[in-house]
Amino acid sequence: MANLSSLQGLLQNFVVSSPDIQGAAVVTPDGLPLAAVLPNSMDEERTAAMSAAMLSLGERIGRELARGTVERVFVQGDMGYGILTSCGDEAMLLTLASKDAKQGMLFLEIKQMSEKVMATMGSNASLFA
Amino acid sequence: MSAELRPELGDFCSIVCMKAVIVGIEEALGEKATAISLIAAGRVRGKQVVEGLGLAGQSLPLEDLTSKLAFALGKDGTRLLVLDKIEQDGEVYRVYTKETICSSGEALGSERQCTFALGAVQGALEAVSGKRFRGKQIESVLRGGTHDTFEYTPIA
Repeated sequence: MANLSSLQGLLQNFVVSSPDIQGAAVVTPDGLPLAAVLPNSMDEERTAAMSAAMLSLGERIGRELARGTVERVFVQGDMGYGILTSCGDEAMLLTLASKDAKQGMLFLEIKQMSEKVMATMGSNASLFA
Repeated sequence: MSAELRPELGDFCSIVCMKAVIVGIEEALGEKATAISLIAAGRVRGKQVVEGLGLAGQSLPLEDLTSKLAFALGKDGTRLLVLDKIEQDGEVYRVYTKETICSSGEALGSERQCTFALGAVQGALEAVSGKRFRGKQIESVLRGGTHDTFEYTPIA
């Protein structure tokens, strides 16, 4: 449990530390939620599966359409952003941000957070018993 | 078997059509995105099955759970798969199935993995136990196994 608690704590800090970040989730590549801080209206399980499928689809588009290695999948709506980034082989990070977020700052925060997630995952032998 | 959803054709459709759905989605979205989606769909379906049987959150002997799931998913149920056995090793479950959708009609040696079936059993185990699992296929009838065997490890 300690492993998932660490991830949950990381996410809490990530969301609380920036007023423009509205939610975040760490999910497995096969679409299971590991930790999440999401608005109440969002279903954690569905969000996790959707995020994993979306990132996978983005990677396929990158390959098929010769766009190279995908750094992030970026969804921009009139109410804000949804950004998916890979955190190594074991996890991916979904970040929800408001439309007022500065993109450069947002990407930097996401990059730093991805590294923390990878370090947490790497420092724990396995999240699976 | 009574026909409840389709008066003329009955409630079952060809495995060939089901397989074409899976292969067609793979063509469009890729194997990985398809697998994620089908596993997620399977988990929801497995949960529905368990809730329909009134087994959600029940502490059942493994033999009882096995026979009830085997009945619900097998020849006298929805015919998703044949469930022969569930083993428990500590907190890890191994589920032995055969005649799954994904393996049907596949050439021996094919690398195809079960997805919807894997998710369906996972969703059922999650609904019964109240735990969350990560599932993987550890044996396939397409690659020399006697069963399509799934292993479920709890997420810590």
